[in-house]
Amino acid sequence: MLLELKNLYKWVNVGGNRNFLLKDVSLNVNEGEFISIMGPSGSGKSTLLNVIGMLDQFDEGEYNFLHESVHKLKEKQRAGLYKQYIGFVFQAYHLIDELTVYENIETPLLYQDVKASERKALVADILDRFNIVGKKDLFPTQLSGGQQQLVGIARALIAKPKLILADEPTGNLNSKQGEEIMELFKQLNNEGVTIIQVTHSEKNAAYASKIIHLLDGRIEKEEKLS
Amino acid sequence: MIRNYFLVAWRNVIRNPFYSGLNVLGLLTGILFFFLIGAYVWNEYNVNRHLRNSSRQVFLRSVWKDPNSGPDITTFGPLSKRLKENYPTLVANYYRWDGITSVVSKGDRIFREGIQLGDSTLLSMYGFDLLQGDKVTALNDPFSAVITKEAALKYFNATNVIGETLSIQNFSGGKRDFKITGVLDDIPENSVLALNDANHNNIFLPTQSYTYFGRGDFDNWQNIILPSYVELREGVKAEDLAGPIQKLIADNAPVASQMGMKVVPIPLTDYYLQKDNALVKRLLYALSFTALFLLLMAMVNYINLAVSRSASRIKEIGIRKVMGGVRSQLIGQFLSESFILVTISVLLAIILYPLFSPVFSQVIGKAIPSLSQFPLVFLFIPFGFVVTIGFLAGIYPAMVLSAAGTVDAVKGKFATIKEKLWLRKSLVGFQFLMAIVVLTAAIIITQQVNYFFSRNVGYDKEFIVAAQLPRDWSPEGVAKMEAVRDQFASLPQVANATLSFEIPNGNNGGQPPVYRQGKDSANAIAMQALVTDDHYADTYKIPMAAGTYFQSEGGFDSSKVILNQTAVKALGWKDDGEAIGRWVRIPGSPINYLVAGVMKDFHFGSMQQAIAPSIVFNVKSGNTYRYMSFKIKSGEINETISSIQKKWSQLLPGSAFEYVFIDDALKKLYATEIQMKKATYTATVLAIIIVLLGVVGLISLSIRQKVKEIGIRKVLGASVSTLIGIFMKEFMIVVLLASVVAIPAAYLLMREWLNHYQYRIDMTLFPFVISTAALLLVTALLILVRTFNAARTNPVKSLRTE
Repeated sequence: MLLELKNLYKWVNVGGNRNFLLKDVSLNVNEGEFISIMGPSGSGKSTLLNVIGMLDQFDEGEYNFLHESVHKLKEKQRAGLYKQYIGFVFQAYHLIDELTVYENIETPLLYQDVKASERKALVADILDRFNIVGKKDLFPTQLSGGQQQLVGIARALIAKPKLILADEPTGNLNSKQGEEIMELFKQLNNEGVTIIQVTHSEKNAAYASKIIHLLDGRIEKEEKLS
Repeated sequence: MIRNYFLVAWRNVIRNPFYSGLNVLGLLTGILFFFLIGAYVWNEYNVNRHLRNSSRQVFLRSVWKDPNSGPDITTFGPLSKRLKENYPTLVANYYRWDGITSVVSKGDRIFREGIQLGDSTLLSMYGFDLLQGDKVTALNDPFSAVITKEAALKYFNATNVIGETLSIQNFSGGKRDFKITGVLDDIPENSVLALNDANHNNIFLPTQSYTYFGRGDFDNWQNIILPSYVELREGVKAEDLAGPIQKLIADNAPVASQMGMKVVPIPLTDYYLQKDNALVKRLLYALSFTALFLLLMAMVNYINLAVSRSASRIKEIGIRKVMGGVRSQLIGQFLSESFILVTISVLLAIILYPLFSPVFSQVIGKAIPSLSQFPLVFLFIPFGFVVTIGFLAGIYPAMVLSAAGTVDAVKGKFATIKEKLWLRKSLVGFQFLMAIVVLTAAIIITQQVNYFFSRNVGYDKEFIVAAQLPRDWSPEGVAKMEAVRDQFASLPQVANATLSFEIPNGNNGGQPPVYRQGKDSANAIAMQALVTDDHYADTYKIPMAAGTYFQSEGGFDSSKVILNQTAVKALGWKDDGEAIGRWVRIPGSPINYLVAGVMKDFHFGSMQQAIAPSIVFNVKSGNTYRYMSFKIKSGEINETISSIQKKWSQLLPGSAFEYVFIDDALKKLYATEIQMKKATYTATVLAIIIVLLGVVGLISLSIRQKVKEIGIRKVLGASVSTLIGIFMKEFMIVVLLASVVAIPAAYLLMREWLNHYQYRIDMTLFPFVISTAALLLVTALLILVRTFNAARTNPVKSLRTE
């Protein structure tokens, strides 16, 4: 098992009232799974994704990642954990505007103290694989949305994570671009990468092996696809 | 990794030219000013440090119980020599000199020069190098002369002038040739060759020539007008000489020691900074603090701009964190940015240094060393600057920015900064505070300087020209000069002319103690002695309170003296008229002086000091004189001067007519204050530049952040002026709050400064109000210009959803 959430609660206090963002969420994710999280706006999709990604804290419950109790870790150790095992893909790509495609992809390796020669080889590999070698010296603003998201995914994959967390990865793309990205996810999943994505689109959600429906911070139902 | 930091930082700098430009300009201003001041301070600090064994060189300074009793820069002629003879284990060497001014000529080149008659130890003791001539023997022959390179070029247009002669006049109408035996190389500023600004010597003669000039014997204890220096043995401290000095004085000059006169040995390296009430040191401190504060303001600007720009950096921070960047790495990232901006500023400051140093030299009234004059180790200073300022300015923004929570950051929220708004504002407030303080100081200093020139000095300083005369200090000489004076006075353009030893520039000949006949001589009062002819009061329009100014029926009477009102009061007469016809005496002198007149008080010297009790002797009683002063009629001044000049060369052939207007002489008297005035102007301009740069930056960011707010308000019906008002309010409150702190601070500071002056302006509200108002106005204008466009923009644009 890759990760396990047990009776997770997250809330904010608004004028003395507890406003639940996540309510009694329990979830098991095995290695190699492809999960879609769906639900209306404000149902807690992104919050759940952030908690899984260890970017956000929760107030109650347990979270085990590769048999480590995340809720017991210090911030630094948590950072070490997600740095090593998790890659993030965002709706708005979140590339660094001041860096070229090449440098954007290289950045996570820099933070993991990978040697220069090795970095070069890894980045070259992934550029090749995503067919964006020709774009490596361009800056994000010079690319189309689809291309930017491609770079975003390449960047998420560069450190060979076990888990990819994608928050509406196709939300800013047109349908054709979106389809290409989803095909890419499918392919990655087939190669053994675990993927959890948040999406609004039924069609994109269908690429997954499991769909989790959220409503008001609570898991409404889990739907297994074949 | 580091390479990556700098690469990204560099791109950030390039991508935001406006922001980077503001920062660089602000930092550059602060750093350049700091470099210029630093160079000046370094230069002043090094005065006397280039001398051989500089740490062991000592100056003997006289301290009188009553400072009017004698000059502090000279002491007993034999003292330094006897110290060496009697205490060879303490003192290695000595040098003393007698300063005179005389006319020096070579063919038709005639100039008045400062001359030192001094011991032959001059060259060896201080390690002064000769361009030409032999160091050891140069000052052996009584009629030899060592001159500076400057003088050699002035008289001969060349420096290889050994064996040439210069003709020098003495004070009894004589003239003779001195053979040049040495030419001094350019020597860094020191208190041996030039003891003070008024004493700049170009010609150095051996001691033995004193008889030719009719000066006092160097080895006579009555001679107390020799600046004296000693070189200590290794390991001896200046204080160790105090005992031996006291003993020598007590043995040889009991009168002086009774009068409470002491001689204090001061290391020469301290002397320059300490002299004149530590004037130089005070100026250096004031300038250093100003430079430091301006630098601080520039750094505050950087911090302010960097923190407020965080909104646009927040996304990047978040992404970096998500990708595994830890805080220390982000801090490194932001620090490299500040290092880059500081590096650019420092490099620009170094490039601009040679361009601005002449401008600054003019302000400060002294040459600033050029870059090539600095020692090689100073190469490290720019590096030190980049590291220190880069760190100090960059660390706070780096900490704040890197502390942003990851999720908030990715979402583009930045709660932390809002909470620190007060900090940003207090930083701007601090800048305004500094600006108000320097502006107020500039106004008050200007007022005080204007006061010096507008306050009634007690005589009429307009249209008076003074020139130094060739000297023949004998009864015949004086008689001749009086005849010359009358000739000048008969010129149609000249209203009056007078012969005197002093002009009212603060430099007078002696400070004799004076007491009333029949009273105890121990209570004698040291007075400022002036020596003039009968026409002095008429020429300078000094009003009389009682009696007459020498002119009397019975012809010349050498016993007649004039007192000023302060002197009359000091001697204990209640009424000016009461003193007329009474007698005063000087301890040790058999003469009874008759008080013939009482003149009203006038300012003989700087208004920094109170008017001293003064006694005027007739020029015929001492037969010494230096100046001829002319009261000229208003009209064509240039023509008048040239007609005086013509007459001069006719009546006094072979002497230079080097004249000075008395109002110019007064300007010299207040040179430090005028310098200070210029320096505060510079500081004010710089402070305002920096503060406005900061405001521009903050306003621009504020506009960017408030685009939406402006749009909404506009839709709701707000007018352009109310919108601009929103921005105005934000900064005006800061300026006003800053003024609340700045005004008392400036008040205390300036009260302290004004307290150094006996005669000073009353501080009014005006400078404080005007400086605050000026800053408010300038800031308001700037805000108006910057925000006008933002407020006019069609709200449809700003409210478009992204």
